[in-house]
Amino acid sequence: MTPDRTCVLAWLRRSAAALHEQRDYLTSLDAAIGDADHGINMDRGFTAVLDKLPTVAEADVGTILKTVGATLVSTVGGASGPLYGTAFLRAGTALAGRQELRPVDALAGFEAAYEGIVARGKAQRGEKTMLDAFGPALDALRAAIEAKQPFANALRAAADAAQAGALATTPMMATKGRASYLGQRSIGHQDPGATSLALFFQMMTDGK
Amino acid sequence: MATVEKTLILVNKVGLHARPAALFVQTAARFQASVRVVCNGRQADAKRILPVLQLGAEQGSVLRLFAEGPDADEAINALTRLVQERFGDPE
Amino acid sequence: MAVGLVIVSHSARLAEGVVELAAQMTHGAVRLAAAGGMDDGGIGTSLARVTQAIASADSGDGVVALIDLGSAALIAEMALESLDAEQRAHVRLSGGPLVEGAILAAVEASVGSPLDEVLATAESARSLEKLKR
Repeated sequence: MTPDRTCVLAWLRRSAAALHEQRDYLTSLDAAIGDADHGINMDRGFTAVLDKLPTVAEADVGTILKTVGATLVSTVGGASGPLYGTAFLRAGTALAGRQELRPVDALAGFEAAYEGIVARGKAQRGEKTMLDAFGPALDALRAAIEAKQPFANALRAAADAAQAGALATTPMMATKGRASYLGQRSIGHQDPGATSLALFFQMMTDGK
Repeated sequence: MATVEKTLILVNKVGLHARPAALFVQTAARFQASVRVVCNGRQADAKRILPVLQLGAEQGSVLRLFAEGPDADEAINALTRLVQERFGDPE
Repeated sequence: MAVGLVIVSHSARLAEGVVELAAQMTHGAVRLAAAGGMDDGGIGTSLARVTQAIASADSGDGVVALIDLGSAALIAEMALESLDAEQRAHVRLSGGPLVEGAILAAVEASVGSPLDEVLATAESARSLEKLKR
């Protein structure tokens, strides 16, 4: 079946619940190399998103995602606010007016989100950031869609790649964001942003 | 146009520290005349805050002012008054 | 009137404190707006607060926004992007040091200097030595 706005809303709710459950874990990852607030910030942002979702219950996918982005920007507090906020805002713009998402639409939305993070964070892959989970996920999604695999399989592949990407941040040295202040000492810790990013992809595959 | 020159000694306790320097710059900027201030072998445009702060002028420092322009006399008089009145500080 | 200043900080108290210091230099001649903290009082930077502060600091002659760290810069950039092209043309972000930059820029603005000179002064505060050597 083609995912529609209802699926998107359900995914956002599952993501919010997962962020809430993983709040302390994400914060503990951030305590090692950042300012120990990633889980708290993301949970606060998505709690606010949950409050906002009823106002867009009848809206198109683009409007839903833009509302999420705007809410994150004004409630998260740390750098994840503008980064995730920009990702959702750009995806929302790319998917304006859509009620359903064909695989190519979803891909376009993810690509816009990824480019938004690149532009906002002036970052690229290999710097121990959320892009190190997002980049591999996007590659896997694109490859699966181009190979005409079922969409559910494509999402599964993306989620696996995101998870592998998040784990692969552990040996990296951070060169962007607060963790970069630590230089060599950032090596050996998994990046919290990449971890939360992977969580969003996991939540697309759950509950089916 | 003739240059008006004046030599002053900073009498206030903190010298050309942040607030006095701000008042100095704001006073100089009220006039059309260009004003240079020389102290400790450094020279600054009296209307620019960073160079004035970087003079490092302290209590007892000698300030030499050079003004050029139609209201050069008035500019020098106003800056002289400001320095002599210790920028409004009690000491 | 004069170029206005916006102080963007993760902390509401820090932003207000910098405004307090800068105001001592300007005696009401410059609009100074604090954009610190989150709406719930927590630490962080809020897009809504920054855009409101830009609006309140702008008297028509432009605004220079100074930022503390990290995500404050990202939020300030988003605030800029959210303005219409005409407004955006007279708002500048400074990466200069927050305290020194704000004080120097406030003095520069107070003497009626144009936007880009106020920005240049905020940036130049990097070269200000705190300790005599």
